[in-house]
This record gives sequence, C-alpha cells and structure tokens, in this order.
Amino acid sequence: MVAKKIQENIKIDAELCTGCGRCSEVCPVDAIEGEEGKPQSVNVAKCVMCGQCVQICSAYDSPFEQYATSRSQRLKERNMPVVKEPLFAAYYHGDFFKVKKRLADKKQFSMVQCAPAVRVSLAEEFGMPLGSLVPGKMVAALKRLGFTRVYDTNFAADLTIMEEGSELVKRITEGGSLPMFTSCCPAWVKFVENEYPELIDHLSSCKSPQQMAGSMFKTYGASVDGVDAREVYSVAIMPCTCKKFEASRPEMKSSGYQDVDAVLTTRELAYLIKEAAIDFNALPEESFDKPLGMYSGAGTIFGVTGGVMEAAIRTAYELITKEPIENVNVTSVRGEQGVRKVTLDTGTLKLKTVVVSGLKNVIPILEDIQRGKADFHFMEVMTCPAGCISGGGQPKMLLPVDGRIAYVNRKFSTYQHDEEQRYRKSHENPEIQDIYKKFLGEPLGHTSHKLLHTHYKPSR
Amino acid sequence: MNDFVIADPGKCIGCRTCEVACVMAHQKDQSLEKLTVENFSPRLRVVKTAKVTTPIQCHQCEDAPCAKACAAQAIVQQDRSVQVIQGRCIGCKACLMACPYGAMDLVLTAAPAQGESKVVALKCDLCRKQDGGPSCIKVCPTKALYEVCGSKMVEQMHNRRKRAALGVMSSR
Amino acid sequence: MSRNLKSFVLADSKKCIGCRVCEVACAVAHLDTEIKTVGNMNFSLNPRLYLVKTPEITMPVQCRHCEDAPCLKSCPVSAIKEQSNRIVIDEAGCIGCKSCIMACPFGAIELIVSRQERIGDEEDCLRDEPEVVASKCDLCGGAPACVKACPREALQYVDMVKERTQRRIEAANKMSGFHNEFMVREG
Repeated sequence: MVAKKIQENIKIDAELCTGCGRCSEVCPVDAIEGEEGKPQSVNVAKCVMCGQCVQICSAYDSPFEQYATSRSQRLKERNMPVVKEPLFAAYYHGDFFKVKKRLADKKQFSMVQCAPAVRVSLAEEFGMPLGSLVPGKMVAALKRLGFTRVYDTNFAADLTIMEEGSELVKRITEGGSLPMFTSCCPAWVKFVENEYPELIDHLSSCKSPQQMAGSMFKTYGASVDGVDAREVYSVAIMPCTCKKFEASRPEMKSSGYQDVDAVLTTRELAYLIKEAAIDFNALPEESFDKPLGMYSGAGTIFGVTGGVMEAAIRTAYELITKEPIENVNVTSVRGEQGVRKVTLDTGTLKLKTVVVSGLKNVIPILEDIQRGKADFHFMEVMTCPAGCISGGGQPKMLLPVDGRIAYVNRKFSTYQHDEEQRYRKSHENPEIQDIYKKFLGEPLGHTSHKLLHTHYKPSR
Repeated sequence: MNDFVIADPGKCIGCRTCEVACVMAHQKDQSLEKLTVENFSPRLRVVKTAKVTTPIQCHQCEDAPCAKACAAQAIVQQDRSVQVIQGRCIGCKACLMACPYGAMDLVLTAAPAQGESKVVALKCDLCRKQDGGPSCIKVCPTKALYEVCGSKMVEQMHNRRKRAALGVMSSR
Repeated sequence: MSRNLKSFVLADSKKCIGCRVCEVACAVAHLDTEIKTVGNMNFSLNPRLYLVKTPEITMPVQCRHCEDAPCLKSCPVSAIKEQSNRIVIDEAGCIGCKSCIMACPFGAIELIVSRQERIGDEEDCLRDEPEVVASKCDLCGGAPACVKACPREALQYVDMVKERTQRRIEAANKMSGFHNEFMVREG
C-alpha cells in the first residue's frame, strides 16, 4: 500500500503547467500525458520517478499572475517548508517535516547515509560554485542537525561491488542469466519490472547501496553502538526522487524493520540546514563515522555514469586474474555518450561490458537481448543523463545552460574525490574487509544473501 | 476597394525621381535647398536587387496589418486608403513589424515643438492632401508608376471574368 | 531628424511553447547577485516580459521601446529615460505612481519590490517597508537574456531598420516579372 501511494510521488501542478511539453521530451518512459498547451499529468503506471521533469520544468508561479491556490497551500501540497523560492509545475512530495520531527527528539538514535552525488552538489544550494566538493562540510552539517551517526552510502557502494562483482563472476563461471544488469538505480529496476518483466532475471540480485546501507545500519550498525534496531531511525540523503520509492518497497525490511525510514533529496537536506540556521559555508570539515562511513574511491564514483562499471572492473579484474589492475583509472568506461561498450581483457576472459546513461538508450539493447543477440556480460544502467549527479533530487538550476555546467563540474569533482582517497578499490577498503571478517562472512554468503540481496516482481 | 500606387518593374530605371517628388509633395517649403540627407524621407523607396529595380510603397491593404497592429489606434481606413493620424503615434514600431512590404517609415524629430509628437509615421498617403493625385506618378520619366483605382479594379475584374467566360465558350 | 530606431525583443507565437524559460532567464539576468539554483532564491522571480497564454495565442509580451514613449512622457519625476537608444526606468528615482503603467498600451510595465540597496541615504535606511518600483524590459544592455535562453528560438532581437530593408528587398524581388501594364491598358 505504501509503495503504491509513493508511486504517485512525481506530480504536475495543473494550475502552473503551461503544457509546453519540455518535460515529456526528457521523460524516458513517455509517462507524461496531455494535450499540447494544456496542463500535463503523470501516468503513474509508467512513471519511474526519476524526476527529470522536475529538473527541466520552468513553469513557475509568476508574481504577476493570479492563482486560485495560495502559495502556502502549494507548499503544503508539496510537503515543503516555508521557503520563498519560486515553485514550478513539476514537483515531488518531500519528507522534510517527517525527518525534522524525528530529529527534534533529542533521545532519538539516528543514522544517516549520503549518496556519492550529494557531496558534489549540496554546496550549490548555499551559493558555492557549481559542483563544489564538500564531503567534510556535509558531515559537519549532518552532525549539527542532530544525527547520531553520520555514515556513508559510499561504504555500501563498496559493499555492492563485493557482492555484485562476485555475483558476476559466479554467473559467468557457474552459469546464470547473462548479461547481468546493475541494480543500483531504482528507476531502472522499476523500468525493467514495468516494461521488460521477462528480463528480470538479468538484474543483479544485489540491493542498491542505499538499501544495503539501510540493512547494515539496523543490524551491524546497531550492534556496534549497542542499540536495538527498533530504536534506530535510518535516513538517506539522495540525489534521487525514486530512492524514496525504493526505500518504501515492502520487501526492503531485511533487518526486521524498514531498513531506510526516510529519504531526503539533496534539496531537502539544504532546507533542513537552512531552517536550522547553520552557516554551511563556515562549517569545518569533519569526517564520516566508522565503521560504516569508510569508503574507497570506487565507492564515490558510483555517482557518475560509468562509475559502477569502473568500480566493478577495478575489483573484478583482481578477482578473476588475482593480479592488481594496471591502471586504476578505467577511463574507457567514462564518457558522455548514452551507450558505451568496453571490453576488458583479463587474460582468460574477455569481459564485455556496456554502460548506458538515459533509459531511452537502453531500449534497443534490451530488444537485442530478447532476440538473443546480446554478446556481452555486464551492463550498467543509470536513468539520469549523467548518472546520479544529474538526479531529480539534485539542486535545480534556474537556467538550462547552468544545468549542463553543473553536470560537468559535479562529474569532475567526483573523479577528483576518487583520486583523493587512500584506497581506490572497494575490496581494499579495510572496513569492508573487517565487516566480512566480523559479520558477513563472505560475499554471496548466507548473511549477505539475507541482508544485501533482494528479488524483483513484474509490475504486470 | 482601396486605391493604390504600383510600379511596373519592367519600366523602372531606378532614377529615384519619384522619391524626390514624394518628399517635395509632403514638404511645406518647396525649396530643394532645404533638403538634407537627414530629412530626406520619401514614402516610397526604390529598391535595386540583382533581379529587379522598382519602387516599393504601401498597398493600402483592405485588412491592413499595420492598422491592426497599431497600439495607439493611429492607423485608420479613410477615404479609400489607409491613413496615419500623426498625433496619436507613439513610435512603438508595431506597424513596421506588421508590414510585409517594409512600406512604413518612422521618422524622429530631435526637438519637437510643444505639444507635438516626436515621431512621425510615414507611409504613402496617395497625396490625398494635394491636388492632382500622387506626385510620384506625375514625375516618373518612364511612366512606370500607376495608380490603381479601387472602383475601377472591380470593373476590370468583371471584364476579365466575362472575357474568360467568352474564351471558354469560343474554344468549345 | 533621426531614423535610428530603437531595437526591441519580439516573440513569434508560432514558435513559442509557453515554457516560461524566457521569464526565468530575464528575472535571473536582473538579479543584484549571481544566483544559479532555485534553492538560493529567497524571493519570487520578477521577469520583465510576461507570458500571454490564451486559447488563441501563446507568447511573451514585452516593451517595444517606443520612439515617443508614452511611459516616459507620463512620468512625473522623469524616472523613465532614453539611454543608449533604449527606454529605461531609473528604479532609484521611481515613486511608484503607476502613471507609466496606465500609459503603456502593451501592459509591458509591472510594479515590483525593489531590492536595490540604498547605502548612504539615511532617510531611506530608516524606512523598512519594501520599496515598490516600476520595472520593464531594458534589453539587458544590448544582449537580451530571454532571446539567448529560449529553447525554441522564438524570440527575436529586432533591428527594425535592417528588418525593413530586408522586407523591401523581398517585396521587390516578388515583383520581378510582374507586369501591370495589363491593368493600365484596361484602365
């Protein structure tokens, strides 16, 4: 029921919509319907909640027009705090108040995780240059907001690589549905469930980093702090509007509780920081808490198209060849094109991979797979044009031209952050090694299977 | 139907005598010495292109786009022609933007007299205020300019139709 | 006498889709400080062109920079001026009397809350109610942001003199081979 309701998360305000149709141009699943020049609406059955329409919409509430709905009503409909910024026709329902209320309870034990793409965009909401890299300030802000533990989705991204890399090797060596698809992007997963249910087996059974982090918070994380999982409030800060849906999926309760209780977008975190009157720009640099906040460079590049593939290659190469990869920067999978095909020579195996950004681009490939014409092993798909850094929950640019600049800068900062890390490969992250030793056992093992893997259901 | 002036490009030699006559006809002082580059504002313009040489002027459109576009109701249908009521013009250029012929001109006076408008919208007025009809026609050395009379045009159209009908009949 | 007509911005209703990007770009171009994200906006967007959307037509309307501008003539405090071949409002001088709004036949002037800082003017510093001033298209100093931002190239920065010359040439070219002797012979 919850999941069904949250599927209506992306909406178009009919009073503000001018029917210009730019949202339907960017919608990857043709979910926006309506006559040209008339207010549009979202077809919930098709929508994958990527929020690209929210990003492109420029039909704002003009001070020179008269509307039947008051501004305060509009803010309420959107679950937004009292802000003076312009409101646009395409929007998503926020979770600001929900989280604010829980944080106000000083006795609440809370854990928060931040997606890799948030640290390269959050500062934009405080007037800093587009794409500024601010993991330290972000941690400082989250601590001042009252989160008990500031952990990181990047840690879980490293965990994802351990599991997904092993799963890929297993499928290749022992058999299983190939090509295997990444499953980090909830909009992509939803798309497969909606439109290509017969290809569900190709999706990696790995949960997304957000959900892996969530289940680790309420199991291992809770035990580290000696608290009961039931006491833990688990929040995720995401660049994505679909992550709200993912967290609410009924099967995402492997800890015994909802693994992620609330998801805030980058924009909503900025509201929280502003409302708490925290001077973001003046914050010191602080560090993520251990153990679930330690990450490698591989974990942080998950935020960019090609990043999951690159991180997987860094680890898979060593898994297969037992030798370190020659160049840790796998630049061949980076790029702007919607589809990039790269073959990795591991000596015994030529690992053929495909990286796709933008859901529209994946359709011909899926058709090929259905016709039995796929000749590759592994495919990374991200719904948003430049990956998570261009997600629907990221800071919205006033001008389209700045959107393009923001993507370039955020991507640059992401790779810069990767290079800054002491460890560049997921399997070298000492906390990852430790958690397998102390808690998980081995990748694809019993505990992993229970906490870190999932299953998918056709929508029709 | 409105009257209008039109040229035969086959006859036009591009001498611009029509332009000078137009300026003189709309000027109080008939002295040529008073003409300067700045104040030379004819209401028809000789256009020379690789293909053709011809004056271009107002067609006195029946459903005039200039009049429809005017924000100040300064362009009106009057006396079988389209006329500008100068005092009303605010110089918004909507008529210039509306006219597909480029036949409207807007001239600015540096220091207008008290109570007078700073702008004058100029277009062919068919020399309605002068006796003897459009002066451009009178001066053309090759007789390239003609006035088409609206009422006669109706007559001509009837004649053409009759002739067309007769032509069909005789060819049977 | 002068024939140097002021340029202006004009929309093509056939191309306009009504997306309001021009309005947003206009408002952003006239901010006191550089703001890039929506989250940094602490006030409404105040554009100087206004989308008209009726069942018949969709296009923004803005100032034509009239040659004998009624707004300028109506202003009692001479806050509307001709400057660098443009009609501009001096926000500091405006008293918000609305005469210009009454005078403009295009509805191209709006009242906005001024955010102009008035440092050094003690009397103004003491006043804390917001200053309401008239606002209209100033052509962004010659490179209109709206024209640049339009995703459909529906806005044109019109140089009327050039535009008209082009139309005369086109009209003349259409007349080649057009013989109206016929008309005259009959007449």
